[in-house]
Amino acid sequence: MTTLVARDLVKDFGVRDGLRRRSLRAVDRVSFTLEPGRTVALVGESGSGKSTIAKMIARLEKPSGGSIAVTGPDGVEVPDKDYRHRVQMVFQDPFASLNPFHTVEHHLARPLRLHGRARGAEETARLVSELLERVTLPASFASRRPHELSGGQRQRVAIARALAPGAEIVVADEPVSMLDVSIRLGILKLLARLQKEEDLAVLYITHDLATARHFSDEILVLYRGRVVERGPSDRVILDPRHPYTKLLAAASPNPDARDRVFEVGRAAVEAAGATAAYDHHTGRWEEAA
Amino acid sequence: MTNPSPVTAPSRTKDGRRAMLPRWSPKLGVGLGLIGAIALFGVVGPLVVGDPNAVRDIGLTAPGGEHWLGTTQTGQDVVAQIAFATRGSLRIGLLVGLMATVLSAVFGIVGSYAGGIVDELFSLFSNVMLVIPGLPLVIVIAGFVPAAQRGSWTIAVVLAITGWAASARVLRAQTLSLRNRDYVAAAKVAGEKTWRVITVEILPNLLPLLASQFVFAVVLAILSEAGLSFLGLGASNSSTLGTMLYYAQNGFALQREAWWWFVPPGLVIALFGCGLSLVNFSIDEIINPKLRDVPRRPGKVAEALRVTPAERGEDDAVLTVEDLSVVYQGDKPVHAVKGVSLTLRRGEILGLAGESGCGKTTLAYAVNRLHKPPAEVTSGAVTFHDRDGTDTDVLGLGPEELREFRWTKLSMVFQGAMNALSPVTSVAAQLDDVLTTHRPGMSRADRRARCVEVFELVGVDPARLGSFPHELSGGMRQRVMIAMALLLDPQVMIMDEPTTALDVVVQRGILLEILKFRDELGFAVLFITHDLPLLLEISDRIAVMRDGEVVELGTAQDLHLDPRHPYTRELLDSFPSLTGDRGGFIRGTEPALHDGGVR
Repeated sequence: MTTLVARDLVKDFGVRDGLRRRSLRAVDRVSFTLEPGRTVALVGESGSGKSTIAKMIARLEKPSGGSIAVTGPDGVEVPDKDYRHRVQMVFQDPFASLNPFHTVEHHLARPLRLHGRARGAEETARLVSELLERVTLPASFASRRPHELSGGQRQRVAIARALAPGAEIVVADEPVSMLDVSIRLGILKLLARLQKEEDLAVLYITHDLATARHFSDEILVLYRGRVVERGPSDRVILDPRHPYTKLLAAASPNPDARDRVFEVGRAAVEAAGATAAYDHHTGRWEEAA
Repeated sequence: MTNPSPVTAPSRTKDGRRAMLPRWSPKLGVGLGLIGAIALFGVVGPLVVGDPNAVRDIGLTAPGGEHWLGTTQTGQDVVAQIAFATRGSLRIGLLVGLMATVLSAVFGIVGSYAGGIVDELFSLFSNVMLVIPGLPLVIVIAGFVPAAQRGSWTIAVVLAITGWAASARVLRAQTLSLRNRDYVAAAKVAGEKTWRVITVEILPNLLPLLASQFVFAVVLAILSEAGLSFLGLGASNSSTLGTMLYYAQNGFALQREAWWWFVPPGLVIALFGCGLSLVNFSIDEIINPKLRDVPRRPGKVAEALRVTPAERGEDDAVLTVEDLSVVYQGDKPVHAVKGVSLTLRRGEILGLAGESGCGKTTLAYAVNRLHKPPAEVTSGAVTFHDRDGTDTDVLGLGPEELREFRWTKLSMVFQGAMNALSPVTSVAAQLDDVLTTHRPGMSRADRRARCVEVFELVGVDPARLGSFPHELSGGMRQRVMIAMALLLDPQVMIMDEPTTALDVVVQRGILLEILKFRDELGFAVLFITHDLPLLLEISDRIAVMRDGEVVELGTAQDLHLDPRHPYTRELLDSFPSLTGDRGGFIRGTEPALHDGGVR
């Protein structure tokens, strides 16, 4: 039972505003627990802080406050040097997360070696083909380079890489949003199967409410760095309580409700406290006019 | 996305490596030929020619006989001198190239990867080195070192010190972009040490750039050394092409018309520099593939195979596309759109659904004749049926008619259009531009009134008209783009992924506006997106495209409840229903492993 407990995570970024320096709170007191066999989804729009949380869990960013603790099956906290044996990450864009210069084998063999899972060329090669098989890719793919693979195949390699150190906690940061729609399902099913086989704890980060509902057990809805609603996934999506969650659910495309009347009226927005919109270009939340 | 054709593993690896090598071209061939010949001459030449310093009493003999290229003032054989001088110049060039590349790599790559204060100091240092004018500094430094101690090493070090800064800046910029790549982050998450991240993950991707900087440094070093030596500031004990020119100058070769003494070394320098530059062009093409020429077949028939434009049908069609084919010409022509026929009715939202590479954007561009070479319309017709009863054959329009037609009759909102606004003028000025171009008769007040009107239509406060694009949020910019497309009251609007980059709440607001215009202004929309659930909700009819063909066309209702084509079903199944039964979506079986692997 390897469990990750994130408690009161805070992340402040320094922003240069003209000559003054001010700090921007990207993540504000977020807590959750990742347990084996369970998936927690972080749902929110761009700028809500969900990717920053992923980076903090993967130790690519240092939290400004709060704590992240991983406890091993023996009930003892995993020391820092072993953290990466346990916690791995699948990145959003498989076209960017594999080094174009290196073969698939390099991407899988390095983590195997680094974490002492394989010694010697023969054992490494055997484990690499085993990893490829687990993500339903033929062993012959080991000698290929990323540009010879399709998006879905690349993402499978990226998943295999996350599994290579023997991770028990996997952060999946929008793992399918850059893929063609007909491939997404296969990748999500693969993640679901691996999770069952390995009893993985998964943090699933997405802006897509529908996959969040089907893929996860618990959903946390983020708005401007804060968790505005959390609960079992069906409850959060089918019976949203917070106005912002209601707004998100109503705004998502839903062919089953073709003739519904939808009004993103000022009232609904203001009630949700969602008067600000995130600007992708300036990277700031701005109050809507 | 197609499955790669099955090829055996070893040849794949070779293909992968080949991507890192320059493509074969006459340029590269000539360049390598020149470098090879001169390098061979410099390496082998000194072994076969006689002593270059042997003095004979046959000063300044013209070429011929025993001395192919004549002799110098003191009767030394010019061929022998050139062979040794070429070797000397090559050695200095290589030395400087290596040292300058290492220096620029250390300052450029390490600094930018480390970031923070290290980066600022390194970058400050490179910038200072860059503004110090190179050659004068070289002259000063070379002048300070006593002639007796001025060996070729000294000169090489001096040239390297003055020649690395520009490359360091280029490498720094590239490393700054590479260090933020996901694969670098992934390597860190995997637990790689910093030095390994730099050497194994980043450095290989800089190789083409390093090679190009190296080649450039070699050229520069050979030229600078020649210049220094010519001025008498070169290495005292070595013979290079520059020292040869220096002696030729001092021996009054020019005045005595002894061309065989100074032309050959000059020519060797010029040809070697030329060869290296040609190789560098080829390396640049790996770094920036846009530099590659698109191979065009000469004499390609530009005239499209025409289909007679459609007659106005019974139904209230506003745009008819018949049997339209678009081909990207090239070594292997790609049929991006294959015989597509569509009818857009007045007041209708026609959805065009498909995945990346299915040809939906190419189709939209071709309908508007915005496609650029190598794309060519090879067959078909596009007919616009105007409200006033006239029909326009869009593919047959002349340039001026086309300009008139676009935007007034048919406007377009592009993918990522919100970034298409010019950052330097207010949005009002940009809207006003459209009106002054297309409606020259309109008065200033009328134009202003129209701008206010369209802003109100798209739900942006007209007070924002004076704003600059960067003062507006992404959603608002996209609304401004739609306002611009509405300005001239077009009858057809083509929207290519207009809301894909936006968050769902913002997207919903814009969709509502589009539906409202359709009802109020009665124009037709061709709405292109990969998001099928969105189309099912808002459009009247939907065309599903795959591999350049429309595989299914039907009303949104029919497509949703009774999809006929297997691909439509596959697409529909790819989107889990927000409110439908939970479980079926994920728990189902995974696609089986078939030959070549899953997609």
